[in-house]
Amino acid sequence: MITVDGQCLAAFVFGTTVGVLVQRSRWCNTAALRDAMLFKSYRNTKALLVAMMILTVGFTAMISFGNGNPMRFDVGINQFIGLFLFGIGMVFAGACTVSSWVKTGEGNIGALWALLFLIVGLFLSSLMWSFTYWPLAGQTMTGRPNAAGLQFGWADALTLQRDTGVPAVVFGIIQAAALYALYRRILKRERATQGEGKTASAPAPTPVAPAAPALAKIATEQALGAPAALPTLGE
Amino acid sequence: MDFFKKSLDPIVALAIIAVFDIFLFQIVGAWTVGGGETMIAGLFVKALIGAKEMNRIPFWRMVFKPTWAYWKIYISLGMGFGALVSAILSKEFYWRVPKHLSEWVMITIGGLLMGIGIRLSFVCNVSTFLGLTPEMNLGGYLAVSGLVIGAWVGTWVYKKILEA
Repeated sequence: MITVDGQCLAAFVFGTTVGVLVQRSRWCNTAALRDAMLFKSYRNTKALLVAMMILTVGFTAMISFGNGNPMRFDVGINQFIGLFLFGIGMVFAGACTVSSWVKTGEGNIGALWALLFLIVGLFLSSLMWSFTYWPLAGQTMTGRPNAAGLQFGWADALTLQRDTGVPAVVFGIIQAAALYALYRRILKRERATQGEGKTASAPAPTPVAPAAPALAKIATEQALGAPAALPTLGE
Repeated sequence: MDFFKKSLDPIVALAIIAVFDIFLFQIVGAWTVGGGETMIAGLFVKALIGAKEMNRIPFWRMVFKPTWAYWKIYISLGMGFGALVSAILSKEFYWRVPKHLSEWVMITIGGLLMGIGIRLSFVCNVSTFLGLTPEMNLGGYLAVSGLVIGAWVGTWVYKKILEA
């Protein structure tokens, strides 16, 4: 059993590694969604999918052998609503939880400001927390369905393995295959887009109205093969 | 060092992070940021208003009792530290300040929404994509749906603002 100090040290070493790798690769979860939706640019989306595939097989394999520390986490409507708000927020701020820390480390005051107001939002909403009523926790998150608390109970690879007797890794491989199918589809779409770019004799038309200079500039850069990024957080 | 002179393919970066994350999953748990940020919020406010006042708020008394002995805090601090070292070694550290008032407003609203979202759902984007979903937690699928729809709405609004 690892001590609390050991846990904190392991977490710090892991976090530092993440900080270095994300800083060097410019990976951003916000861009993984936003750029795919806005520019059909999948540089960050593909990386996210690869990580999800590795982790799905890795985590479920460990769960199959009784190892690892999966989150004992109840499924609830609050997760949908909370992440919906989060999704809007991360596009507005131009950074997710990872990139806000990484950009702060690079000297980005906008990212630091986003973190500060994330803390403010967290604290203000914590004042509305109730032990017995939604929004949640405590008596509502018991591992069993609870209609009043809009909770469906606990269901993950571990419960699936327990209930079916089939090793969790089998389900993990199925999920990883579904993620891989999505990855292949993105590659196919990218190849199709590149093919269109090569056959076009004239410069690629910008998919936005002339009244939108910022988007038009980015779209032109896209057509020329430059990396996609919106000018957020002072960059 | 060559590593700090050129950029890294994000697929390679995320694949390495995923392998490390499997080790972290064995030691303490999967990579998450929202939990650490919640605790940092608690510690931050506790330093401002004092332990006695903080203890009067049920959430901070019963769910997230502010403490420094919480491993998730150190992932966040490590990310900031790692990025700082990496930015200095690659000569990419410099102060960047948003130029326009509109940027400050968008970042402020965005930060608030992210904070409210984390508090309401008890998870962040990292736990959603790289924690709950790989563990095949049904909550992860709900959270991914919410996050993708939210990002779509946010992108739509952002695009309208840029076009205007």
